[in-house]
Amino acid sequence: MTVDDKIDKIDEKIREIKEAAGEIERLGGDIEAIKKNLVRLRASVKMLELNVSDVKMVM
Amino acid sequence: MTKNSSIYWNPLLETMDREKLRNLQLKKFKRIFEWAYNNSPFYKKLYRDAGIELGDIKTYEDIKRVPKIDKGMLRNTQSKEPFPYGDMLAVPLTEVTEFRQTSGTTGTPVYQADTWQDWEWWSECWAYILYAQGYRDTDRLFLPFGYNIFVAFWACHYAAEKLGCEVVPGGVLDTEARILKMQELKCTAFAATPTYVLGMADTAMKIGIDPKSIGIKKITCAGEPGASIPATRKRIEDAWGAKVYDHIGATEIGAWSYMCTVQKGLHVNEAFFLVEIEDTETGEIIEEPMKSGKMIITAFDRYAKPCIRFDSKDVIRWADYDCECGRTFRCIDGGVIGRADDITKVKGVLLAPTAIEEVVRDFEELSDEYEVIVTKKGDIDDIMLKIEIKPGCESRKEDILKRLKDQLRVKTNLGYKIEVHPYGSLPRYALKAKRFKDLRKH
Repeated sequence: MTVDDKIDKIDEKIREIKEAAGEIERLGGDIEAIKKNLVRLRASVKMLELNVSDVKMVM
Repeated sequence: MTKNSSIYWNPLLETMDREKLRNLQLKKFKRIFEWAYNNSPFYKKLYRDAGIELGDIKTYEDIKRVPKIDKGMLRNTQSKEPFPYGDMLAVPLTEVTEFRQTSGTTGTPVYQADTWQDWEWWSECWAYILYAQGYRDTDRLFLPFGYNIFVAFWACHYAAEKLGCEVVPGGVLDTEARILKMQELKCTAFAATPTYVLGMADTAMKIGIDPKSIGIKKITCAGEPGASIPATRKRIEDAWGAKVYDHIGATEIGAWSYMCTVQKGLHVNEAFFLVEIEDTETGEIIEEPMKSGKMIITAFDRYAKPCIRFDSKDVIRWADYDCECGRTFRCIDGGVIGRADDITKVKGVLLAPTAIEEVVRDFEELSDEYEVIVTKKGDIDDIMLKIEIKPGCESRKEDILKRLKDQLRVKTNLGYKIEVHPYGSLPRYALKAKRFKDLRKH
């Protein structure tokens, strides 16, 4: 697998995490413990995007 | 994923081909520009008044058309809603989780808002710094700072945790207690301003502890240019028996630059920041190495209070060498050489205060403290240097003063009046030192 292939794959997985976060949020409704922990999760996922997904912009 | 990946926090970005990196910067600039335009009333007005609209940034050259901002504008916007940040804020106030403020050294403090994502970004930027300086999960890092409203080493704390280091918060302890705690816990590293690092060594000696015996392997400095001044860095390394690394950041910008273990220049984290160097006389952007100008900087990924083409007034220059570490991020040479508003003409000669520090810190007979005072008598500038001679060296005072005057003249082209003060009598600073006082302006 080339580096570009790996970046593609990681980016795909990052998007899956984001989709899963959206689904958890919908299922969680008004539960604050879910909403606020998802803020933290999304911030961490954003750092993965900055480190990997952004590279896709110039591949 | 790539060769030698273990020395990089992220080899995908840190070793990216220069052309791709430049392309990435353009794309990321467009992203933050559009975010600010769409979400910050301050930026929208600024850009509309300048005749720049969404979609106008198509090439790297177009970036130069985007209006700069400065600290005065940051202060002015704070008088507007929402309190206390003003209309530069680009997120709902309910999303702001962090408050910090600038030290106020140059005027009214600027209040900085960050969301949790911005705060993660701060620690991500610091993760690049610490990893490049050799921090790993085997390190026990001591942080001797106040943990208060100033950003100081807060993000260093979070980044070190991210790396897996064990972090010891040395918050409200006094200097003696901090030294004893570092000794007791066998800490391997600490981070502080160069002034405080030297002050800690001094205090350690006073209580009978040789700083070298503590076992510190590396020290990360920030807040002042000292660790990029070879004489100051050597003084710290000799005192602690540790490697000393510089880092540059600012509350309103982020942690944008770092020295790696090669200890040559400071890499600009060009995947997260765009640094432009502007000729202060012509306003042109300087691309050539070793030509000084003031820094205009953009943080690509900070969203609550975006920092786009911020005129920092820091004077820097691109290095004329590549770093051996393999990072493709460009280096600046000598860290922040001065402040555009500090570099001043004395007796018609351009003077950077760091040049004086370089000379003073090269004299092992002198203490770490000094003060420079510029005054005007009639039409004539007068420059006074206050120093302390270390105990045991007083008998060589005349020789020291002669050599010091000679060196100052060689390095700065100026003659100084020199005042010798008793050892320990000049002010000691815990954070940023204010050693250069130009009283002609007041």
